[in-house]
Amino acid sequence: MDKTKTSTDGSSKKEKKHHKKQSKDGQLEANLAENEVSHGCKKEIVNKTNNDATTGTVAQKLSEKELRRIEWEKKLESQKGITVTSNDQSVGQQPSEKELRRLEWEKKLQEQKAGDTGKETLSKAEIKAKRREQQEAQRQAKLAAENAKNAAENVKKVAATTPIKDPGKGLGKVEKKLDFPKKETKKTTDVHKVQLVQHLYAEMPQKKVSKLLVYNNIHPAFVKLGSQYLNKTILGSNARTLALMAALKHLIIDIQTPPKQELCRHLETVLQTCTNHLQNCRPFAVSMVNALRNFKLHLTQVDTNLKDSEKKAKLQDVIDVYIHDDIYKAGDAISLKVKEKISDGDVILIYGCSSLLKKILVDAHKEGKKFKVIVADSRPLLEGKEMLRRLVVAKIECTYIFLNAVSYVMNSVTKVLLGAHALLTNGYVMSRIGTAQVALVAKAYNKPVLVCCETYKFSERVQTDSFVYNEIGDPDLLSKIPNTEDPSPLSKWKENNKLTPLNLLYDVTPPDFVTAVVTEIAILPCTSVPVVLRINAIENT
Amino acid sequence: MDGAKVREFFCKIIREDEDVSVGVAAIRTLMEIIKHSKSETVQELETNLKDGINVMKNTDYPVTAINSGCELFLRFITLAALDTRCFSDCKKIMLDRGHLFIKKLDEARGKIVKLASKFIEDGSKVLTHSRSRVVLQALRKAHKQNKRFEVFVTISAPDNSGKQMCKELQAEGIPCTLILDSAVGYIMEQVHFIMVGAEGVVESGGIVNKVGSYTMAVCAKEMKKPFYVLTESFKFSRLFPLGQQDLPEEYKYTSSVRKNSDLKKVHPLVDYTPPAYITLLFTDLGILTPSAVSDELIKLYL
Repeated sequence: MDKTKTSTDGSSKKEKKHHKKQSKDGQLEANLAENEVSHGCKKEIVNKTNNDATTGTVAQKLSEKELRRIEWEKKLESQKGITVTSNDQSVGQQPSEKELRRLEWEKKLQEQKAGDTGKETLSKAEIKAKRREQQEAQRQAKLAAENAKNAAENVKKVAATTPIKDPGKGLGKVEKKLDFPKKETKKTTDVHKVQLVQHLYAEMPQKKVSKLLVYNNIHPAFVKLGSQYLNKTILGSNARTLALMAALKHLIIDIQTPPKQELCRHLETVLQTCTNHLQNCRPFAVSMVNALRNFKLHLTQVDTNLKDSEKKAKLQDVIDVYIHDDIYKAGDAISLKVKEKISDGDVILIYGCSSLLKKILVDAHKEGKKFKVIVADSRPLLEGKEMLRRLVVAKIECTYIFLNAVSYVMNSVTKVLLGAHALLTNGYVMSRIGTAQVALVAKAYNKPVLVCCETYKFSERVQTDSFVYNEIGDPDLLSKIPNTEDPSPLSKWKENNKLTPLNLLYDVTPPDFVTAVVTEIAILPCTSVPVVLRINAIENT
Repeated sequence: MDGAKVREFFCKIIREDEDVSVGVAAIRTLMEIIKHSKSETVQELETNLKDGINVMKNTDYPVTAINSGCELFLRFITLAALDTRCFSDCKKIMLDRGHLFIKKLDEARGKIVKLASKFIEDGSKVLTHSRSRVVLQALRKAHKQNKRFEVFVTISAPDNSGKQMCKELQAEGIPCTLILDSAVGYIMEQVHFIMVGAEGVVESGGIVNKVGSYTMAVCAKEMKKPFYVLTESFKFSRLFPLGQQDLPEEYKYTSSVRKNSDLKKVHPLVDYTPPAYITLLFTDLGILTPSAVSDELIKLYL
């Protein structure tokens, strides 16, 4: 606040000074006017009026001079009595108005004398006509000169300031506006969409629609969950899966079988509507898809002869076991494995926020391992801040950097730990956008990259780029700069059809950049994902 | 069997039979322990075996092969123990399986040699490192197939095992040149491929082998020469080193060295060659790419 105050004070002072200058001397002002056009906007407005006035008078003076000279020359021609030298002198010295008038007067007197004494006597009417002609010529010359002067002045102003006053261009703009509005309204759906990821926009959650929805047959727990997903209050695949499982448990408790129906079949249909609603809020994470698939598999296997309460208990048990085994125990196992790989004096680079990584680092720290952590972060979500907070609370020595400084710190890093959103069959790692860059830099510096990922995040999909399957986040987040009062220069991107911010949420890291994947089964190379998937599939059936 | 006996038995096997690798010797010793064990429960037997493994690890033979061989053997046994009721039955099954296992191991080398000898073509120049029984047999086999080829062997400091390798090759009548360890780069441009053995194959598909293998592999990669590894599948171990520093100390130094001296000043025995530098692995399971090693390990242990 103080800063802004002082700055306004400063500007007002300047203005005062400026006014003083103006009052000093008109002539000087006219010379200065050009320079001052390039100063601040406020000054310019003040100047402009002044400028116009001063330049106007200058133009008049100049034109007067010129005109008189012309007049004079004419008179000289008609009256060869006066020497040429005096003419040159007068032009060179730029005679004052008084002198000029005197000369003129003298000329006129001489003319009259000549007229009186000369052979060709002119009648008064003829003289008057001549004078009228002269005056007419004078007026036209004056106008021409003034126009020229104004044009020159205009060009200067245009050069210094942005607005274009050229009438021709202005007209063009108006015409365009008149021509295009219809087309623009049609195009608005396509505008601000990147061609390469057109297919992803369809999955984008639409905030307005979701507010108006009537939540028919959707359990309140899922409605709440949906809005939490939508507003990104629940972030990270583990957290999202846990929340989904919790909502599922609520649903199982509250569900009542309609007459002449079986609980599990009924639950299946209800679950379908609920998950559809969630999908509309935000596309499912791979981990959520896998968790749901596991639940549905068990749903079909429940003994139909049991009572409803027993079925419910069984289903809840399924969920509890899944959460306990595939998420928590897997995390513990991974933590144990990574701990072996962390040695004293290590500098570990992590990127973004991951519940699993936090657990690993805190566990290793508790074990007494002495290591430093560098948290790399990136806009727009700035998840790294949360990670940093959690690590600092655990009293781990941390450094916080942005993604663009990764190559700078990589030299001092000994290991890179990364979380993952999913592991794909071809060994590619799908994770928070920016992860691929970190892995790439690490590879370039020959640092080992460990991706920590529970096997329930393994996916059967194959993907070699981040366009086929991805998620588009709120593009407004890119144009907003947090913690600043100044509006972002990109804040009005919607008005510019040529400007399209693209906020992708995930990217894929090729297996070449990843040294190993730490799973609860073992530390594996990326390429072993299909084997693990095959084994898991065999175990499940 | 107490510790001293186990040690004696183990060392005797290695001393008497030149052609037996340390891993196989370890497995034979474990079989012997089972045979003489007086234990009445599976649990007790397992602790007996583990004691025996520790004794073997503390000898001055390379630990890498002992580790992987024993781990695999124990896995073999725990699986066997699950489907029997009476302990004596269980023990019998273990011994039967053990014999089967050893038989399979003995066949392994023959399979590898058969696979690898096809890759040695007429007129080729082969570079090898240190002394490896499998490589030696593969070269021998190729020579017997009347293929004409030339072999370069590194001296392989500090134990100069390359000298012995060279002698053995020359005894077979294979043209062989002994080169300096530091001449690997010099010789690389004229050889056609590299064939080495391995003390252990790790989860990543990389190998742990006599120090100098890594240098050779990096050099080969740069010169675009294929780097072949000949190894038995019992040497596969569930270890994932991230780099040379991450390799267990017991692999890099013998037990006596580990006890006595400052490790920074002792030369390591082995180094780790990452999978990126290995073209193919010839094993009794077939010819594998490095990434297939992990698949096989998952199949074995999960």
